[in-house]
Amino acid sequence: MRKHLDDIHFDEEENEINLTPMLDVVFIMLIFFIVTASFIKEAGIDVNRPDAPMTESKPEDANILVMINANDEIWIERRLIDPRAVRANIERMHAENPDGSVVIQANNKSTNKILVEVMDSARLAGVYSISIADSR
Amino acid sequence: MSRKHSSLAVEEEENEINLTPMLDVVFIMLIFFIVTATFIKEAGIQVERPNTITADTQDDASILIAISPNDEIWIDRQERDPRAVRGIIERLHAENPKGSIVIQADEGSTHETLVIVMEAAKVAGVTNVSIASDNEG
Repeated sequence: MRKHLDDIHFDEEENEINLTPMLDVVFIMLIFFIVTASFIKEAGIDVNRPDAPMTESKPEDANILVMINANDEIWIERRLIDPRAVRANIERMHAENPDGSVVIQANNKSTNKILVEVMDSARLAGVYSISIADSR
Repeated sequence: MSRKHSSLAVEEEENEINLTPMLDVVFIMLIFFIVTATFIKEAGIQVERPNTITADTQDDASILIAISPNDEIWIDRQERDPRAVRGIIERLHAENPKGSIVIQADEGSTHETLVIVMEAAKVAGVTNVSIASDNEG
């Protein structure tokens, strides 16, 4: 009889959840989420600025027209321009016409590298309002 | 003498950290971060981005669209048909309405494909669109 009583007493172990390892696991998960929550930052050029009014181009402003042909040549005012000189040209035209925005009319076959370079030059020249059109 | 000993014994309380409330606090924080984390789907390919100086960091980018040098459009680790891009953008935008689109266009991709993607984004109702670049400035 005594033996049975002893056995019963032995089976009744402490069944509390061990909190320390669970806390460790939870801390690890928490740190993971904190770190990954702020991570992905892509650097890019805004094509559409959310605060700019949509597509209201005023016709009386002579917009600065930049044309890119299929061979990635840049033509402004019917002159062939070197990519490094684009910024200076846009600055000059912007000074003559401060309200005008830049319109890039690129041929369908032109590469996006030259398009982004022209956009970068326009932004360096101080013009952030840039529109992209394609010429077929 | 024995009394003093017993009073010393009473002052020596248990000083272990009480784990249960700390676990509760940590769970709350964890659930908060899980809920607010939006998982950005990678496009699926690596591209050579054009170099720029004036690029801004896009903090709320959530839809990544990559254009390979051969003008393939990659969204969410699969190549997509140009006509299907609009539907995919609509679906992804519905999952995360505040997210912006970042187009990772390769240097050698053509303007035509870029315009297709931008048009699809505009028709799908997403106005916040950016082109990814390698910023030096």
